[in-house]
Amino acid sequence: MQDHVEQTSRWEKTLATWIATPAAEHFADILPQLHAFHFRHNAAYRAFAKSSGVAEVVADWRSIPCVPQDAFKHADLRSFPEEETIKTFRTSGTTGEGFGQHHFRTLDVYEAAVREGWKLGGLTRGTLLVLAPHPDEAPHSSLSHMMAILAAREDFIARGGRIDVARLQSATQAVCLLGTALGFLRLFEEMQTLGIRLQLPPGSNALETGGYKGSGRDIARTDLYAMFTDYLGIEPGNIFNEYGMTELSSQFYARGPRGLHHGPPWARAVVADPVTLREVAEGETGILLIYDAANVGSVVGIRTRDLAVRRGKAFELLGRDPAALPRGCSRAADEWLTR
Amino acid sequence: MKTAERAQAIAQAAAPLGSLLGSTTADALLHWVEAELGDAAALDRWVTHGEARCKAVAPDNILHVVSGNTPHAALQTLISGLILGSSNLVKLPRGGIPEVDDFISRLAADLAAKITVGEELRDDWIARATAVVVYGSDETVAALRAKVPSGKIFIGHGHKASAGIVWEDENYVSCAGAARDTSLFDQQGCLSPRVFYVRETRPGFARNYAEKLAQEMEQYGRLYPRRPLDVAERAEIANLRAAYTFRATGDLRVAIWAGGPELDWTVVYEEDPWFPSSALSRVIFVKPLPEDLAAVLGPHSAHLGAIGLWPCTEELADRFFALGASRFCPIGRMQDPPWTWHNGGVARLAPLVKWVDFEG
Repeated sequence: MQDHVEQTSRWEKTLATWIATPAAEHFADILPQLHAFHFRHNAAYRAFAKSSGVAEVVADWRSIPCVPQDAFKHADLRSFPEEETIKTFRTSGTTGEGFGQHHFRTLDVYEAAVREGWKLGGLTRGTLLVLAPHPDEAPHSSLSHMMAILAAREDFIARGGRIDVARLQSATQAVCLLGTALGFLRLFEEMQTLGIRLQLPPGSNALETGGYKGSGRDIARTDLYAMFTDYLGIEPGNIFNEYGMTELSSQFYARGPRGLHHGPPWARAVVADPVTLREVAEGETGILLIYDAANVGSVVGIRTRDLAVRRGKAFELLGRDPAALPRGCSRAADEWLTR
Repeated sequence: MKTAERAQAIAQAAAPLGSLLGSTTADALLHWVEAELGDAAALDRWVTHGEARCKAVAPDNILHVVSGNTPHAALQTLISGLILGSSNLVKLPRGGIPEVDDFISRLAADLAAKITVGEELRDDWIARATAVVVYGSDETVAALRAKVPSGKIFIGHGHKASAGIVWEDENYVSCAGAARDTSLFDQQGCLSPRVFYVRETRPGFARNYAEKLAQEMEQYGRLYPRRPLDVAERAEIANLRAAYTFRATGDLRVAIWAGGPELDWTVVYEEDPWFPSSALSRVIFVKPLPEDLAAVLGPHSAHLGAIGLWPCTEELADRFFALGASRFCPIGRMQDPPWTWHNGGVARLAPLVKWVDFEG
């Protein structure tokens, strides 16, 4: 046990140091070692790896098995003793067993990944205004926590579900707005009701994230970005999309309505064939596998439910059901995912 | 053209589509008219109606909006318009439906002339229509309902999903039929089962049923391979398999059987009774029949299409009557509704006609 805790601490320090001064070439060394560490100390992961025909030692990080995102709902994917858990983030689920849980022994690595990833993503460092709930209101939301790392408490302007539009109106210097796509839609609706159109100070930009899950809403990214310009005066090229999830510690950023998503040096995205899990050719579509070294306390390989197009080292995000496929008289088939 | 002549012409054109439409003889079509309108000639002459006589008047123009990509709904609604003698405006999904073109190409010229097909819904079609029949998502139906003026007949068929209930089947006799019901049309229709609830007549029976069903799915798939999937569909099925495979390694309440190199079929056994109403191609759940299925279905009851029963008895249909399904049939025949079928609990000809009474 003592040995396990020491190893865990060592890994946490290694990762925090690496993230602070990232060198991409370390990725291929570190990932297989992290896999072996998780294999030894995470029973659910070990069983999964074995059933996938993967042993403790892998030669190449691409051989590391990717745990289905859904598994966070049903299995304990901690790679450290349960009693050392200091934080658990939950996915937004509907019922008791319907949400995924990502446990943390320390938030140092997570927070370093958020801060450094933000810098590498090329986003501004002006005043950040957040349209999501503060962690006080949403203690299990990784998104709220992430935004609280970046923004001051008083800059959460959607307290109690009410957006403080006056804060936007009074801005005299460039701001960066952070929120979910749904949160921004609600802001625009409120501004519409109030008859307000703003021209935020030059240099202002915005970061939107998340989808419209459970809201019955859906809107193309280009249409949403046009609303940013219309209501806030932010040009589409100054709007960023963040791709992240509760099950990950790192984020991928894209700029503009057709921007490609890039990740930090300690995380990689692989667009793979859904069946063979082999990387697809350049320009082809597949499912998104994410390898995130900052997931030091859980598992490094995650098989997401999103589709993407391979674009060099980046990816073009398509999301869950990009084709809006006709399905007879049936609705979209993702309900099992909420279980 | 009289109704009997139209029935003859439709039956001839539909004959090669037997596997899709079931028995479509002229007699079957006339029997359908008789069942719904009281007399097979009600559209042609005065027929007895209580102490009076009456004649049915078909709508001049029926607008059929078919948004799904299964051919059944399109063919069935078109045939209902043709047998009534109406002119038909048919809005098909993007890319069209080859079976519909095929059917029209084999119709006698005077009947074919009563059909206009398009992939765009033109506003003047709504204006011209006397009656509107819509097949699609609940959203599509609601959107069309809002666009159609209140004086016109409107029939909407929204989202439906079906299920099977195995009450007793000691020797797994129903498994082959369950595989057919699941595999035929790749689960794209409202009559396709998403789940079979199997009564645990002995411990582990539902799980054994799932295993037998997997064998039958394999057999059926060899004879009738599934249509090719696009990448999004492949991803959905592959993700479902990955998730359940992960769970099955550590949870005995879950098991999965997966066949074929191209995600050909998947059977998931899961003790959690939740109702999976969505469609994935040839992915079927088997679950132990819960004590209170109505509670499990909850809001899905409103979207329940058919229930395949085994054995299919009136007693069992009465037992599950309150679940909300509009059709009970034997497992193995879920995809073969007769022409007299009340789709979604609604007659398919009667609501379209108006009556003129004669009291001489």
